[in-house]
Amino acid sequence: MEIALAGNPNVGKSAIFSRLTGVGVISSNYPGTTVEFFEGKAKFMGSTITVIDLPGTYSLAGNTDDERVATNLLFERRPDTVVAVLDTTRLERNLVLLFELIESGYHVVASLNMYDEMRRSGRDVDVARLERILMVPAIPTVATKGEGIDSLLFTSVQLRGRSKFKVRYDSHIEEMVRKLSAMLKQEDWPMPLRAVSLRLLTGDRRVLEKADGAAVRASERMREEFLKEHGEDIVVHIERDRFGEAGRIATEVVGEAADRERKEGFISDLTLRPATGIPILIAVLAAVFLVLVFAGGALEGVLVGAYTDAARAPFDDFKAGLSSDLARGAAEGVYLSVEAMLALVIPYIVVFYIMLAVLEDTGYLVRVVSLLDGVMHRLGLHGRAVIPMVVGFGCNVPAILATRAMGSRRERLILATLITIAVPCSAQTAIIIGTVGNYAGAVWALAIYIILGAILVILGFAMHRTIKFEPTGLFVEIPDLRVPSPHEILRKTYLRVKEFLTIAFPLLLVGSIALEMLMAEGILQQLIGPSEGFMMAVLGLPGVVVVALIFGILRKEMALQMLMVLFGTSNLALHLSPEQMFTFALVMAVFMPCLAAFAVMLKEFGVRSTAVVTAGSIGLAMALGALSNLLLGL
Amino acid sequence: MVTEIAEQYLKVIYNLTEDGGVAKTSDVAKAMSVAPASVTEMMHKLSRQGYVRHERYRGATLSPKGLKIARQVTRKHRLLERFLNDLCGIRGKSRHDQACRMEHVLTDEAERQLCRMLNRPSECPHGKQIPKCERGIACEKCTKETVSLVDLGEGDVGTVSHLASKDKEELCRILAMGFVPGSEVKVEKKVPMGGPIIVSLKGTKIALAREIGRALHMVRA
Repeated sequence: MEIALAGNPNVGKSAIFSRLTGVGVISSNYPGTTVEFFEGKAKFMGSTITVIDLPGTYSLAGNTDDERVATNLLFERRPDTVVAVLDTTRLERNLVLLFELIESGYHVVASLNMYDEMRRSGRDVDVARLERILMVPAIPTVATKGEGIDSLLFTSVQLRGRSKFKVRYDSHIEEMVRKLSAMLKQEDWPMPLRAVSLRLLTGDRRVLEKADGAAVRASERMREEFLKEHGEDIVVHIERDRFGEAGRIATEVVGEAADRERKEGFISDLTLRPATGIPILIAVLAAVFLVLVFAGGALEGVLVGAYTDAARAPFDDFKAGLSSDLARGAAEGVYLSVEAMLALVIPYIVVFYIMLAVLEDTGYLVRVVSLLDGVMHRLGLHGRAVIPMVVGFGCNVPAILATRAMGSRRERLILATLITIAVPCSAQTAIIIGTVGNYAGAVWALAIYIILGAILVILGFAMHRTIKFEPTGLFVEIPDLRVPSPHEILRKTYLRVKEFLTIAFPLLLVGSIALEMLMAEGILQQLIGPSEGFMMAVLGLPGVVVVALIFGILRKEMALQMLMVLFGTSNLALHLSPEQMFTFALVMAVFMPCLAAFAVMLKEFGVRSTAVVTAGSIGLAMALGALSNLLLGL
Repeated sequence: MVTEIAEQYLKVIYNLTEDGGVAKTSDVAKAMSVAPASVTEMMHKLSRQGYVRHERYRGATLSPKGLKIARQVTRKHRLLERFLNDLCGIRGKSRHDQACRMEHVLTDEAERQLCRMLNRPSECPHGKQIPKCERGIACEKCTKETVSLVDLGEGDVGTVSHLASKDKEELCRILAMGFVPGSEVKVEKKVPMGGPIIVSLKGTKIALAREIGRALHMVRA
C-alpha cells in the first residue's frame, strides 16, 4: 500500500514524512527534472507502507516543475491515500490544494498540522464540522513533536474513502463542465470527468494531449467564449471560486479570525530591512565562518589524532607486508583518503550542513534571498543564488548540486562558475588561513577575500552581459521565523552528507591512490625541476609549489600539508616570504576546482561548459598570481 | 505609424463594410469627397502596406491588421460623437466633422477615460455600434481606478482587481499563490535596490519580484 503526502511549501510536510518513516529514506530526482522527492517505509500493524513525500506545491495545475512532478507522481503511482498536509494557521489558502485533490478523485485524509500554533494564538478549529463539510477525515497533528502521527497513519490506512465534496463554480463554468463531461468517457480517464473537464478548460497540457479532438476543440471554443464574455481568462474565475469557497469554509470552522493578521515579529522585520538586514546577514555569515574555522579545526585535530593513533600502526604493518612500491603507494592512498574524509567531512561538511539546515528551517535564508534579490539581479542571478553560494563556502560539490534550485540552465551555469572560481571552499579557506593568515597577518587574508569578492562581482556582471537572458522572477512565500526541530535538522544533514559522500568519496579515493602512486614512482618530484623556471618567472614561487598545485586538483585540502612535507618543515616562513604566500594563496583560491567538483560540473553541465570553466579558472589564477607577483615585487 | 489620411480611409472602409460586403471605390470616394482616381491610388498604397485587400472592379476589405486600426479609430470617432452630443449638445454635420478631426489626436488613455466618463456607451448618436476596446478587461473592472501593485507604497492596502499577465504559466502561478480578484493585499515592504515587494495576503507573507507585481492590478482600499 502507498500513501503520498501533498501540501503547500512550508507546512511541515517533510516533518510529518520523517515522523512516519524514520531513517531508511531514499531521495531521488524525478526523471528528466531536478526536482527531488523522498520515499520511505512506514510500519503499520505488521505491514509495510510506502510513503511518498511529494514536492511542496500550491496547485496541481502543472505550471511549475514542482507541480508537474507532484501531479505526475500522483498519476503514475496511484497512491491508495493522499494525505493533504495543511498549515492550520493558514487554513484558507491551504484548503485550495485539498479541493483539487478531492476533485481529482483521490482518497484524501487531511492533516491539520501546526495545531499547537493555532491553539497558542488563541484560536481553535471545529474539526468535526470541517470533516462534515469536506467529507474527509481531518486529523490535528503537531509534526515537530510527533503528535497525532499514529492517528494520521491509522486513518490513512483504515478510514479512507472518496469525498463527495464539490467546489461550486459559477453557473457558466458549471454549464461548460457539464457539456464537456458529456463528451468524455469515464473509462478513458483515471480521474472523475469533472476534474478532466476542468483541466481541459484551464488548458492543462497533459489532459489536452490525451483527450480526443472534439472535446479539445469544444474546450478551446468555450475558453474563448468565456474570455470574450467576461473579459477574463477562465482560470481566473476558477481560482477565484476555489479561494472564495476556501474562505467561506475557513470562516465557518475557525470563526471570523480565520486569517487574522499575526503580529509581526520584531526580528522578522529587522531581517527584511536592508539597513539592519545586511549587518545581520554579515554577522550570521561571520558566525558560520568562525564556527567552521575554529570548531571545525578543533574537531579535525581530535579526529585525525584519534585516527592516526588507532589506525597508523596496524596500517604500517599491513604496508610492510606489500611487495612493490606501487602497491604500497595505493595502500597509503586508501589510508589517506579515509583520513581526509575524517578531516574534511565530519568537522567541516557535517558542521556546515547542520548550520545550513538551521538557517533554512528557521526561515532565515528565505529572508536573505528576498533581501538580496535586487542586488543579485545585477549579477544575472536571483536572490535564491545566495544559498548555493553559502553552501560553497563549505564545499563546492554540494554547492554545484544546490544550483539545481535555480530557474534556468543559464542561471545555474553562471552560479556554478562563480562558485568554483570565486567562492573559497573550506579547503581553500584552510590554505588561505594556514599561509597568509598565519604568517602575513589577518589583513592580507582579508585582502584575498576582498579580491575574491571583486572577482565575483566582475565575473558575474560580465557573464550576465554575455550569456542570453531568460528572466524568471522571484516568487516565494516567506514563512514565519520559528525554532527549528532538531529531528528535521539531523535528517536533512544526514541526507546531504550521504549524497556528498556517494559522489565525493570514490573520486577522493581514486585521486589519492593515483597521487600516492605518482609519488611512489617519483613522478611528481620530477616535475619540480622543469617547472622551476616558469614558476619563478611568472609567479615568483619556488618550483616545489607545482606539486601543491597538482595536489590542488586532486586533493585540495592536502596541498598545504604536502608543501610542508616537501619543504621538510611546518614553518613555511622559512621558505616563503609573506608576499610569496599571498601569491600562492590567491592562486590556490582561484585555481581550478578539485576533481570532485570537476566531476559534478561534468555531470550537471556537460563537457564543453566544464572545459571552458576549468580553463578559465586556471588562466585567471595564473594571471592573478603573475599580477600579484609583479605588484608585490615592486 | 499610420498617417491621419490613412486612418481616415480605414475608418471609411470599416463603416462601409461593417455589415459585411466590400467597400466600392465609388462609395469611398463619395464618403471622402474626393475623386475616384485618388481613392484607387490610396487603395493600392494601403494594400501594399497590408492594411486592405483590394480587388479591381469589386472594391476593398480590411485585413486583420487594418481592421485593428480601423476599429480603434472608429471607436474614438463614435465615442467623441457621443461626447459632443451628450455633453456639449452639438448637433448636425458639425458634430461629425469635429469628431473626424479629433479622433486622430485622441490618445488611448483619453479614450479610456472618455469611455468611463460616458458610462461605457455601446452606440453612437446615429445608432451605430461602438467597437469594443481590446484591452481584455471586463468593463466593470475598467471603470474602477486601478494601479499596479508596484505603484502601491509601503503600508498601503489594496484589493486585486485583475491580472494583466500575458504568460499563461505566470498567470496560473500568481493565482495559485492566492492572488485572485477580490483578495486583499497589504504591501509590507519594498526592498530597495530593485529588490522584491513583500506583501501579506491571507495571513502569509510573500516576496514577489517587481515584474510579477506589475501584472497585478489593484484597487486602493
